[in-house]
Amino acid sequence: MIALSVRDLSLAIGRTNIVDAISFDVAPGEVLALVGESGCGKSVTAQAIMRLLPAAIRQTGGEITLGATSLSNLPARAMRDLRGRQIAMIFQEPQSALDPLATVGNQIAEALRQPLAKVRAEVRQMLVEVGISDPDRRIDQHPFELSGGMCQRVMIAIALIARPAVLIADEPTTALDVTIQAQILALLRRLAAERQTAVVLITHDMGVVADIADRVAVMYAGRVAETGPTAAVFATPAHPYTALLLASIPRLSDVPKSALAVIDGQVPQPADYGAGCRFAGRCPRADRRCVAETPALRPVADGRLVACFHPVGG
Amino acid sequence: METILEITDLCVHFPGRGGAPVRAVDGVSLHIAPGETLGLVGESGCGKSTIANAAVGLLAPTSGRVVVAGTDIVGASPRLLREVRAQVQMVFQDPITSLNPRMTIGTAIGESLLVRGRAAGAALRARVGELLQEVGLRPDHADRYPHQFSGGQRQRVVIARALALRPALLVCDEAVSALDVSVRAQILNLLVALQARYGMAMLFVSHDLAVVRHVCDRVAVMYLGQLAEIAPRDALFASPRHPYTRALIAAVPDPDPAVQRARVSVPLVGEIPSPANPPPGCRFHTRCPVAVARCAVDVPALRSVGAAMVACHLA
Ligand SMILES: Nc1ncnc2c1ncn2[C@@H]1O[C@H](COP(=O)(O)OP(=O)(O)OP(=O)(O)O)[C@@H](O)[C@H]1O
Ligand SMILES: Nc1ncnc2c1ncn2[C@@H]1O[C@H](COP(=O)(O)OP(=O)(O)OP(=O)(O)O)[C@@H](O)[C@H]1O
Ligand code: SF4
Ligand SMILES: [Mg+2]
Ligand SMILES: [Mg+2]
Repeated sequence: MIALSVRDLSLAIGRTNIVDAISFDVAPGEVLALVGESGCGKSVTAQAIMRLLPAAIRQTGGEITLGATSLSNLPARAMRDLRGRQIAMIFQEPQSALDPLATVGNQIAEALRQPLAKVRAEVRQMLVEVGISDPDRRIDQHPFELSGGMCQRVMIAIALIARPAVLIADEPTTALDVTIQAQILALLRRLAAERQTAVVLITHDMGVVADIADRVAVMYAGRVAETGPTAAVFATPAHPYTALLLASIPRLSDVPKSALAVIDGQVPQPADYGAGCRFAGRCPRADRRCVAETPALRPVADGRLVACFHPVGG
Repeated sequence: METILEITDLCVHFPGRGGAPVRAVDGVSLHIAPGETLGLVGESGCGKSTIANAAVGLLAPTSGRVVVAGTDIVGASPRLLREVRAQVQMVFQDPITSLNPRMTIGTAIGESLLVRGRAAGAALRARVGELLQEVGLRPDHADRYPHQFSGGQRQRVVIARALALRPALLVCDEAVSALDVSVRAQILNLLVALQARYGMAMLFVSHDLAVVRHVCDRVAVMYLGQLAEIAPRDALFASPRHPYTRALIAAVPDPDPAVQRARVSVPLVGEIPSPANPPPGCRFHTRCPVAVARCAVDVPALRSVGAAMVACHLA
């Protein structure tokens, strides 16, 4: 069974493509990580799924399906009904995503579209589930009275109280300290499993992916470079970008001061994407074909798909 | 012992919103030997940047001593400060705000040499070209403006500018935190190579433990304005003595799913208290998994345990 399916999603600003035919599926209770460097199109993909794209960005192709419902041609009103109930989202900056003028309890009740007085017990229980201590006091407080980690817990409570089938979390821990990040990741993992929520977790941190994701899609410059089970992708990365990215990260286990693998150059801007493989300009394995043709995602070992003419180890 | 930076009993208190001052740094002592890299880690708001700013004289301490290359810079005359500044340079997180958008990068890099009369004209231009090459850029980049570079290239420019006077100490405050992963590796390799080549000391401030372990010789762990532990890198990571150091290391997710999932780490509970109202006793006791009654009352002194200095009653 599939909770969320994204097929060949393409997005553009004017005539400039920013996301090119990306596809992925997420099953109930599964965590899929969408990982990639700044500007590769993670957040706009999430906004497209939620049908909350900024005015400047257009969907130029593709199909998004939530359970059995195709979202692409859904009227705006029906989409509004789905949001929150079937599919919910949390963001990087919890403080700014919350309404500064409404109490925690009112904001969570709002997600149930009920007055707080009617659902207070349920809201309180949700605060307990997301690990907020002293829920009876917190329920009537405002966001400014809470720390960043607590605000993110409140966001998770808002997102999950209506038991949506799909949760999209865009860098939910990037603004938080590591010890708080560990708490939030453990919480997301537990709730996804208990409630069988399908989670799309957006991050640029390979450590977060390794910690929580069942499967991963590595994005580069608006395309999926490689996707598959997290363990397989990390153990034997097949795309040259994935391999170099993993080798360029300092780890607690590496030799201090040893040279890290380097990817020459920098991530291209959408206006410079050009024809061919978008990694070709930085890729040590690139040849003439890579510059001219776009590699399609095709299967390699261990249930993986990779978009490369010359995959590592193949 | 010869030191390039010696900080003694440093306190920096800021006026707080509701009366109580923010005790951003509260009695920290540390030193850096010539050529050594000291890492400064800890969670947001623990006082890392405040220490970095005090070390370069950008901020006047509430009390304590800051001695740079033998000169006490607290209350030093502007002339003396200016001389000391030639020995200490700083690189910040955001390269775009630390460069003047209307100045070519060649002018920015050469400015300190020109102002101090170290070089001018063709010699200055040649020296700027050398500096650009040292950081992996080209001499002909000198005539470009900051907006014509990527974030990683701008950080190289900032590093070249900091190197111009051949400082004895480079203070890096989250110098790689805003960079993409693939570019961060380039800059880390550059810093390690430059340090080996010139033997300059570094105070390397970061919230990223893996990065700190990669570049530093010794590491200081801060919690709420104070040192929890300071130790040689390998001792700190192999046998962390302070419960906070242990929690911090355990919370760094390993980018290897097999390793990460085999770890049995219990996340710390609780939130970080406010530095305007730090807990009594050990400041960490409200979140400490092994705290005993005494921890809520007695302030643990920093004392030496093995190769480390640790502020914990149970260490
Ligand atoms: N509102 C917008 N208007 C114009 N361009 C945008 C807008 N939002 C995103 N873009 C562009 O679309 C591309 C993809 O951006 P996106 O925000 O999805 O990146 P991301 O992968 O989420 O990056 P980050 O890790 O920095 O959050 C980028 O080139 C970005 O500049
Ligand atoms: N100019 C200032 N006025 C008032 N309070 C300040 C000032 N500068 C810093 N603080 C406070 O002092 C404490 C320490 O801040 P500092 O910037 O040194 O922390 P940090 O460890 O560098 O954190 P981060 O990891 O977020 O950069 C914080 O509580 C901060 O809010
Ligand atoms: S397709 Fe070519 S350029 Fe792209 S990653 Fe593979 S080898 Fe490199
Ligand atoms: Mg984003
Ligand atoms: Mg700081």
